[in-house]
Amino acid sequence: MRKGDPGTERIPVEWVLMKADTEQIRILLVEDDDGDAFLIEELLREARAGITVRRARLLAEAGKLIDEATCVLLDLDLPDSRGLHGLRRLLLQEPDTAIVVLTGLADEHLGEEAVRAGAQDYLIKGDVTGKLLHRVIRYAVERRRWHEAQRQLHVARVSARENARLERGLLPSAVLDDPRLSVAARYRAGGKQRLLGGDFYDVVQTPDGWVHALIGDVCGHGPSEAALGVCLRVAWRALVLAGERPADVLSAVQLVLRHEQQEEAMFATVCMMSVAPGRRTATLRLAGHPAPLLVTPHGIGELAAPPCPPPGLNDAGNWPALDVKLGDRWSLLLYTDGLVEGRISGSPYRLGSEGLMGLMRDALGTAPFDPGRVGDEALLNGLIDQVRHLNGGDLNDDVALLVLGCS
Amino acid sequence: MDLKLAHSNKDGIEIVDVEGEIDVYTAPRLRELLIELVNKKNYQLVVNMEKVEFLDSTGLGVLVGGLKRVRAHDGSLDLVCTQERILKIFRITGLTKVFGIHESVDQAIAARKAEK
Repeated sequence: MRKGDPGTERIPVEWVLMKADTEQIRILLVEDDDGDAFLIEELLREARAGITVRRARLLAEAGKLIDEATCVLLDLDLPDSRGLHGLRRLLLQEPDTAIVVLTGLADEHLGEEAVRAGAQDYLIKGDVTGKLLHRVIRYAVERRRWHEAQRQLHVARVSARENARLERGLLPSAVLDDPRLSVAARYRAGGKQRLLGGDFYDVVQTPDGWVHALIGDVCGHGPSEAALGVCLRVAWRALVLAGERPADVLSAVQLVLRHEQQEEAMFATVCMMSVAPGRRTATLRLAGHPAPLLVTPHGIGELAAPPCPPPGLNDAGNWPALDVKLGDRWSLLLYTDGLVEGRISGSPYRLGSEGLMGLMRDALGTAPFDPGRVGDEALLNGLIDQVRHLNGGDLNDDVALLVLGCS
Repeated sequence: MDLKLAHSNKDGIEIVDVEGEIDVYTAPRLRELLIELVNKKNYQLVVNMEKVEFLDSTGLGVLVGGLKRVRAHDGSLDLVCTQERILKIFRITGLTKVFGIHESVDQAIAARKAEK
């Protein structure tokens, strides 16, 4: 500190880097008195702490620098702030930063008030040793970290409960009564928050022997999208069970979406697969949704039905179908776009359906393939892990997978 | 990857140039720009996607949202795109039937004028 050189102190802040023998702690010292500031910095040096000090002379300056600090030493008597006002301001701005207040001998009571108001500790100027200062700072930072860890744990618990509740609505158990058919599904919430988005799926067998499978994705990502996803899935199931024809089911789902949507732009892409009672043929409808994969002993392919706009945007109400020959033994992999939108090893390119088919081929080995393996828990988990790995970490979007297999 | 946005007026039509990746993180900025333009009473929009490298479902949602906003004022939102990998996204999602997609900004403007 250039004590006694006020003429050059136009720059309000200086960095003083001290010898770092432990983990770096970045101190923001908010003190207008150069003498007091000098003393504190000398004490920090004496304590040999691995500490970086940045200084502000005004509360207004502190507000601009606090986001980089792990701990703030705050004088309660500043030119632009007196008493606890400054403490409250800084806590409001950066609730996670440890703040230790500095008081004079005459107003020790203020220190206690400050702790009640959220300061980690207080120090009385003139009564501070290097060791005490160092310990107070370390404890303050550790306590703050502990609180932050507790807070994150709490948030994680709440979101896990929330996810579990939505999951039951979005991802039900299949209604199926055919020993030849099997269903497997996977869901991974994307993004950093791991909150459930609006992906949903369902499988329902109707009394006439048809089996209808659905996968869908509400555009957007969040609680209202997830809630709409639950709505649409339940509507779909009810319409299918009521015996409506697939095209009529989708028209009605579109109506439900328009009635229930809270944001004007919402639409939901869906893929609906209806397997005939013989289990050798099916019809596929793709409304804005990625095409499912068909795995048979002879190959792995994409079932490209003529695309139409998704529910919410399909004003014409046409839901064209593709007739599909499945064969004897087969698996259908229905998925949401989160699975194919991941990056490929840092390149700007994305996995895409071609990349997904490549991964599936790698997983199944050489032909003839065993379609029954597509629904294996280990295979599906491995597939998602590989996609994540290629992406270089968590995927941005939710991923839902639904496998319907016949053996 | 970053998203760059610019806009300019040509023959009374607001051209929005988009460059980079429109994904869950960057799409909100495009949404804000489209809302701002509509609030300033620009109801004829052309979004130039020639320099867009990636578009995810959130980005599609933002474009659809923009389209719905201008249509509420009898306006239009056309797209300019010739890149196969972006066009493929519009085809898969069936949105080629929802948006007018053109090969150049001039063509988009001409098509808009012809419709008037």
